[in-house]
Amino acid sequence: MRKILFCSLLSLSIASTLALADTKLKLVEVITSPDRTAVLRQQVADFEANNPGITVEITSLPWGQAFEKLATMVQSGQTPDVVEMPDSWQGLYASNDMLVDLEGRIAASGLEEKLTDKTLAMARNTGGKANMIPYGFYLRAMFWNKKIFAQAGMTEAPKTMAEFVEASKKIKALGTGVSGYCLRGGVGGTNGWMMFMAAMRGSPEFFDEQGNSLLSDPESIKGAQFLVDLYKNGHAPRDSVNWGFNEIVSGFYSGKCAMLDQDPDALISIAKSMNSEDFAVAPMPLGPSGKAYPTIGYTGWSIFKQSENKDSSWKLISHLTSPEENLTWAKKIGVLPIHKGAEKNAFFSTEQYSGWFEELNNPNYIPLTMPTHLKGWGYFGSVMAKDSSQEALLGMISTEKMVEDWAAYLTKEQQAWMKTQ
Amino acid sequence: MNTLVTQPKSQKKIDLQRFLEPYLYLSPALIIIALVIITPTLVGISYAFQSIELLNPFNGGWIGLTHFKTLFSDRYFFSALANTLDWTLISLFFQFSLGLGLALLLNRKFAGRKLVQALVFLPWAVPTFLSGLTWAWLFNPIIGILPHWMTSLGMLPEPYNILSDPHLAMYGPIVANVWFGIPFFAITLLAALQSVPSDLYEAAGIDGASSWQVFVKITLPFLAPMIAITVMLRTIWIANFADLIIVMTSGGPANSTQTLPSYIFTTAYRRLDFGYASAMAVMLLILLLLYTAILLKMRSKLSNGD
Repeated sequence: MRKILFCSLLSLSIASTLALADTKLKLVEVITSPDRTAVLRQQVADFEANNPGITVEITSLPWGQAFEKLATMVQSGQTPDVVEMPDSWQGLYASNDMLVDLEGRIAASGLEEKLTDKTLAMARNTGGKANMIPYGFYLRAMFWNKKIFAQAGMTEAPKTMAEFVEASKKIKALGTGVSGYCLRGGVGGTNGWMMFMAAMRGSPEFFDEQGNSLLSDPESIKGAQFLVDLYKNGHAPRDSVNWGFNEIVSGFYSGKCAMLDQDPDALISIAKSMNSEDFAVAPMPLGPSGKAYPTIGYTGWSIFKQSENKDSSWKLISHLTSPEENLTWAKKIGVLPIHKGAEKNAFFSTEQYSGWFEELNNPNYIPLTMPTHLKGWGYFGSVMAKDSSQEALLGMISTEKMVEDWAAYLTKEQQAWMKTQ
Repeated sequence: MNTLVTQPKSQKKIDLQRFLEPYLYLSPALIIIALVIITPTLVGISYAFQSIELLNPFNGGWIGLTHFKTLFSDRYFFSALANTLDWTLISLFFQFSLGLGLALLLNRKFAGRKLVQALVFLPWAVPTFLSGLTWAWLFNPIIGILPHWMTSLGMLPEPYNILSDPHLAMYGPIVANVWFGIPFFAITLLAALQSVPSDLYEAAGIDGASSWQVFVKITLPFLAPMIAITVMLRTIWIANFADLIIVMTSGGPANSTQTLPSYIFTTAYRRLDFGYASAMAVMLLILLLLYTAILLKMRSKLSNGD
């Protein structure tokens, strides 16, 4: 017995000295899918090969439960070193002062020159100091089904919101059961509401100087009413009140609806199921002010303050966001790359990406950043906005009531945030 | 001398020992129960009186009955309560009646009975998440067959997903739950049926009883104790059972399928408000305890009446 105990103690101590000699980084990815995990593993393997002595342990959390899983990990002290940080969580972790300030390292490595201005702006979105390096952008643009448009006698995608309704009417008039718009009424639909409300309002601002939400002003209500009317008039499929990402994308490529606003990541599954000549991607329709506000999203890598290996963690992030690796990553997972001059790459200069790059280059398209600095934004987007917008679409509450609830909640959140600044 | 002095003492000691002895033997079980059941329950109940929000980790502390006051002005809580009632009663009614029918069928002798018995119990063995996903797909008009059948039968005007219709969405998880729960009643009632002495049926046959009379006068009375206990267990299980709803509709659209357990889950893991979620869980616990007390009282009255 004593022998066994002794041996196990000995092996334990050997194991711990080995662990000391080796730096072990814990990386958590939160938007997990088999394809993208494979790309990540490959890139991390290259990193390990170039940096002997550093090993990386990847934890892949399924997106559906990632938020609570990571929160539980952090609460229980199992904090990872490097974490994939979606924009919607940046506010929460940054305002609880849990992320490493990366400004010094960015200055030292000359990244400031190489990254696009938008990338840097997003890195510094909370509190003005960079606490993540974005690895790519999601930008909303309008997929449109050329075949269905041709049947309805149209050759171009709608340029304004008025044309958007006209196109939907013509498609409904075909009588084939096809609707105009692939409405996302279920999980993740919040961005659509914010986009149409901003287009009617003619402003990307969510709050006034006192922190009052602008969502309940009459122009914003018109934007929300626009979507409610679209659904009530049958310009979106009946089921779409509960549609999430998979349903809108499959609804689009199966020809159930002809227009879909989505990010570049949807292109991957749509290109698999549709011929490239049957669809195209156009910029979002312009509002009455002549401007459109496609939502922009980003995800990146952050280092937790509790990490004991901050230098190695930075090395890993630098590798993952280096120009070459970032291009591969952006192509494989469907985001817009972060380095200057990436749009000249052959892959991104195709017709499929033209809608997005026009939005990026034309001053009439102003990217809309969600107020992700608010702690309650995650709950607002995934539960509150979803539930009450479904109630409004189904006619259980009025559009005004919905918008007033949203404004009240966001005003409270914004003012709480302003107090901490 | 010694014995005289110590005798009353030792008598007391012996009494005490006698009193404590059974508890000593019970102590392993008692300690485990205290650790595994009572402690978590008490901790959980204590959460109901505290502010525990993961989003505001530094605003914790005791807040008394605030959560319960919020609860009584929360319209989603009451709609969830009503939905829980619908969900439990409708599921239970169909599970029980179809399960009883199945048990009666399987109690007859026919070729291949063993195989049919095994197949019939299959739904019970399928993980609920899997059956939830499968049913959700069956109700999806793009990949599933059910909406098209329902349209052909005239139940729906056009093939659409009933899970997206706030008036019909609840029936999606209920259908899945009925499918899932029939085997439970069939298994338990079949076991009870097989213990009914067959000479009673023979005697009834000689006396010329109709099959309805046989069922009401012989089968049902023998099954009654089993029916009472399974219905009680099943009610509590179904009322607490949120997996199918979370997987199939996650409470939507517009909260029309939100039951109390799924609302508790959403509050705890989406809003990250564990305090309020615990307060609702305590309410659910109280309601189920009340239900059990009433049912047990009814049962003892019935058996006393015999």
